[in-house]
This record gives sequence, structure tokens and C-alpha cells, in this order.
Amino acid sequence: MVDALLAILQRPNFLTFVIIFLWGFYIMVTRYNLVKKLIGMYLVQTSVIFFLVSISVKKGATVPVLLSTSAPVQAAIYANPLPHVLTLTAIVVGVATTGVGLALCGAIYRKYGSLDEEEILEKLE
Amino acid sequence: MSHQLPAILFLLPLFAAISMPVVCLKHRHWSYRISVATLAAMVLVSILNLHNVIHHGEIRYAFSGWTVPLGIEWVADGLASVILVLLSVLGLLGLVFTGSTSPKDLGGRIVHYYTLILLLVSALTGIAFAGDLFNLFVFLEVAAISSYALIGVAGGRALFAAFRYLILGTLGASLYLLGVSYLYAVTGTLNMSDMVDKLPFLLSSKAVVGGLIFMFIGLAIKMALVPFHSWLPEAYTYAPESISPILSSLVTKVALLAWIRIIYWVLNASIAINDIPILLLVSVLGTLAAVIGASLALAQRDLKMLFAYGGISHIGIIIIGISQGNQTGFSGGVFYLLNDAVMQAGLFFLAGVAFCQYGVRTIDDLGRVGKQAPWLTGALIVMALGMIGLPPTGGFFGKWYIILGALEAGNYVSVAAVLLSTLLTLAYFVKVFECIFRQSSTQFDAPSGEIPFSFKLTLGVTSAAIIVLGLSSGSIVQLLLDHALPPGL
Repeated sequence: MVDALLAILQRPNFLTFVIIFLWGFYIMVTRYNLVKKLIGMYLVQTSVIFFLVSISVKKGATVPVLLSTSAPVQAAIYANPLPHVLTLTAIVVGVATTGVGLALCGAIYRKYGSLDEEEILEKLE
Repeated sequence: MSHQLPAILFLLPLFAAISMPVVCLKHRHWSYRISVATLAAMVLVSILNLHNVIHHGEIRYAFSGWTVPLGIEWVADGLASVILVLLSVLGLLGLVFTGSTSPKDLGGRIVHYYTLILLLVSALTGIAFAGDLFNLFVFLEVAAISSYALIGVAGGRALFAAFRYLILGTLGASLYLLGVSYLYAVTGTLNMSDMVDKLPFLLSSKAVVGGLIFMFIGLAIKMALVPFHSWLPEAYTYAPESISPILSSLVTKVALLAWIRIIYWVLNASIAINDIPILLLVSVLGTLAAVIGASLALAQRDLKMLFAYGGISHIGIIIIGISQGNQTGFSGGVFYLLNDAVMQAGLFFLAGVAFCQYGVRTIDDLGRVGKQAPWLTGALIVMALGMIGLPPTGGFFGKWYIILGALEAGNYVSVAAVLLSTLLTLAYFVKVFECIFRQSSTQFDAPSGEIPFSFKLTLGVTSAAIIVLGLSSGSIVQLLLDHALPPGL
């Protein structure tokens, strides 16, 4: 038990990821306000992006641009650019999804005059 | 030139989609013609591509010359090429249908509407060809975002259904991305053909097992596998009449294709994790989906709702087929996937015609117009034969090969599930026909106008395709056996 706790505390990035992910998921499941649901969804997306960034950290590494063309390439001194590019793409996807979600929220509000899920469901009946 | 065909297939709809808002700025009515022309060109190119793949083997397309494992790779093998022909033909039919049913009050936004449809088609092309796990994620999301917007076009209840779809779909996509990053952290690669060499030695790692579970749950939400199906019936029922055929026939099936790719092309399908064979797990999921989906369909009165639940149960039958781990089951499953896409498109065309032409939404109303609508009733009979799986339709031969595969694997629970789901399908179509042919005292004043040509065309082509797929099932299954099997099966 103590060992497991110590192992978790040695990986604070994983712990942070789990907390943000579950927090977002909790908001998505429990809140009735549609905008709050969107905020929860955005937290979930951000937590995954955070995870992707945190596993690609390399201490003492530099930007992935060749320092010299004559010396043999030492991969160990360069940061891996791939996870960062993935992160960038994932952020763009997240922003687009949130944009569509907000547009839908706006349309729902204009139509039903409310953003509360229960009130809207009552009007739908 | 011929090895560029996969890229051309993707760029055609993408380029048309991006240029459309500019080209159609002044001339709105061009947008429909441009979309139809693009999809017609796609049909030709996809047939060329299939011909090319059959005769010269699969194409591995490395973008801008960066080869694996550095660059992004697309794989145009037999399976993807067959699916692409299906996708472009059904996309074209869906567009023809859209021409006479698209929401009238769109005004200038009709241009964006067609842009979104083309974007959806190009993203689905990308999913079918992707040989890279992250590439797959991006295309899944492009397809999903276009579907949310297209469902929302109908307004009213559709907005709320689209919002629920968005919340669940994004959760699925996030889980998929989480799984991909787990696998990337362990193997250091995203390419499917590169990963397949590294994964078998790493299966004792909890990160790999966890990553695979996250990926499968994410994709299961995307393809509406029971118990993650709750978004689908509402979203497809309240979507505009013109959009639900394209969505129901293509989006879930292409997500299923991505799942097949990961099971057979990234993982070696015969592996067991902690002594549990993954194919057994997959076939249990399929069994549940096939039976539960069909049972839920039995309770529906709304036409589109009924067909949507029917589609959910058929996803289960396809999964039962591909999870048998032998050639017969796999080719039967893929053949059934082709059939199911055509049947779903046909059924939602039918629901669209019933509503747009006769104002019918539920099966009770259907009974009142039955005799005045020969096209509708005729198409419904053919599609019901296909859904139940009676010869000579494609549905029968698909189920036949799936059951043969299950018997070969000695998996009698799967056989029972397919049969039970068939019986339940029979039951809900009996309910529909009982409504149609019952002597109804309250005659319905159907607006008796001539059915537009596009309605006759779409209903006729899908009904004919169901029969033709059945009659030519032998050669299609042989083609799948020769060219579309995964390595090592």
C-alpha cells in the first residue's frame, strides 16, 4: 500500500492527468447545464494533451535542429518533436469540437430559451 | 500515375469542399452540381483504384516521400479499396437524394451544407486508407465534427441530439487518443506496420493492455456498439431526412473498419492477453450487440428509430463474423458490412421518402398509405428480405458465411446469436407489414403527387443492389478471400 502510494507520488504528472481527466468526466456526467458539460469535455481533452506532453519531456535536451552538419547526429541531445506536433494537432481538433459545441449550445438557447438539460427535456416532451 | 490514386481519391472531395465557399459565392445553385460531379469522379477513380489493387497488389503511399517509420503512410489494400467503392457509390446516391430533400430554409448556407458533406466523405476516405494511428484519430474527428454540424442543420430536437452525440463522440475520441499515446509511449512509433513487429513482445506491459482497452472503448463509442450506442438512435432519427442515409450507412461502418484494422493489422489477432484470446472478447461484444440491438428495435414505432436500432444489431453481426478468426468468417463479416451499408442507406432513403412525400413518420401511419405508394412498399419488401436475410438477397449470403465461419471455429454461441437476431429482425418487420397490409378503416389522404425521379432512383438502385449483391455473392466473397484478408489469417 505504502509502496504503491510512493510509486504514484514519484510520477506527479500521471497523478495530475488522472485528476484532471476524472474531474472533467465528473462534470460531464453530473452537471445539467450544457455549457458546463462542454467545459467538462474540454477538461477531458486537455488532460489527454497534458499526458502526451508530459511523457515526452526530456531533461537537458535542446530543440530538434541539427547543431552541426559535420558531426555525427546524437539523438540523445535533441527533444523528440513528434509528441509536440501531435499535441498541436490534438489542440486544433479540440478547439474545433468546442466551437461546434458552443454553436449548438447557442442554437439550443435561441430555440428553447434555456441551457438546462432538464428544462429542455421537459419542453421536448 | 496509378500509385497516386489513393491520394487523388482523398484530394478530390477535400479540394472541392475547400474551394466551394469561394466558387459558389455568387452562384449558390452550383454547389449541388459540383458535389455530384465530385462524387461521380470519385466513383470512377475508386473503381480504377480497386482494379489497380487487384491486378498489381496493394499500394503503400508515403506522403511527400517520407518513408516509414518517419513519415505518414497510407495503405490502399484490397479491403480499403472495396470499402472506398462502397463509400463513393453510397455517397453519390446520398447526394442525389439530398438534391430534392435538403432543408428548404437554408438559403445561402446551402453552400456550407454541401461543403460539410464533401468534408465528411473526404474524412471517411482518410479513415479507410490511414496506415497510421494518429492519422486515424484526426480523420475520425474531422468526420465526427462534420456529422455533428450536419445533424444540427435540422434544428429543433436535432440540436439536442447533436449535442449529446458531440459530448459522447468527443469522449470517445479522447479515449482513443489516450490509448494511442500509451502505445506511442511504449513502442515509440505510430505506424501500424511498424507497430505490429514491436507489440507481440510487449503484451505483458500494463501500458499496452490499458492503451488497447482505451482505444477499443473510444472506437466502440464511434461505431455505436452496445452498450455505447445511446447517442445513435436520437441523432439519426432527428437528423435531416437528406443526411441520415449518408451517416447511417457510412460513419459507423468506417469506424468499424478502423477497429478491424487495429485488431488484425496492428495486433496479431490470434494473441491472448493474460490467457484470454482477444477474439473471444470481441465476439462476446458482437453477440451482445446483435441480440440487444434487435430486441430494442422491437419496441420502436418510429420508422427511423426502428431502422437505427436495426443498424445497431447489424454492427454486432458484422463483429461476430470478423471475430471468428478464420477466413470464412472474416470474408463473410466484410461482405455483410457491404450489404449492411447498402441496406441502411436504402432504409433511411425509404424513411426520407415516406416523410417528404407522404408525411409518414411512424409505422402506424405507414399502414394508411401502403397501397397508394407502390415504390415505397416495393422497396420496403426488398429491404426487409435483406435485413431478415432471406435468399436471394445479400443479407442471406453474408449471414450464411458468418455462420459457416462460426461453425468452423466451433463457436456455437455466435451461431445462436446470429439466428436469434435474425428471428428478432423477422419479428419487427412482421410488425411493420402487419401495419401495412391490415385493412385500415381510416384512409389517409396522402398528397398524391408524382414521386420525384431522385426518390425512384435511390430506392430502385439500393433495392437492386441488395439483390445483385446476393446473386454475385460468390464472386465478391472470392475477391475478398483473394485480396482483402489480413496477413496471417
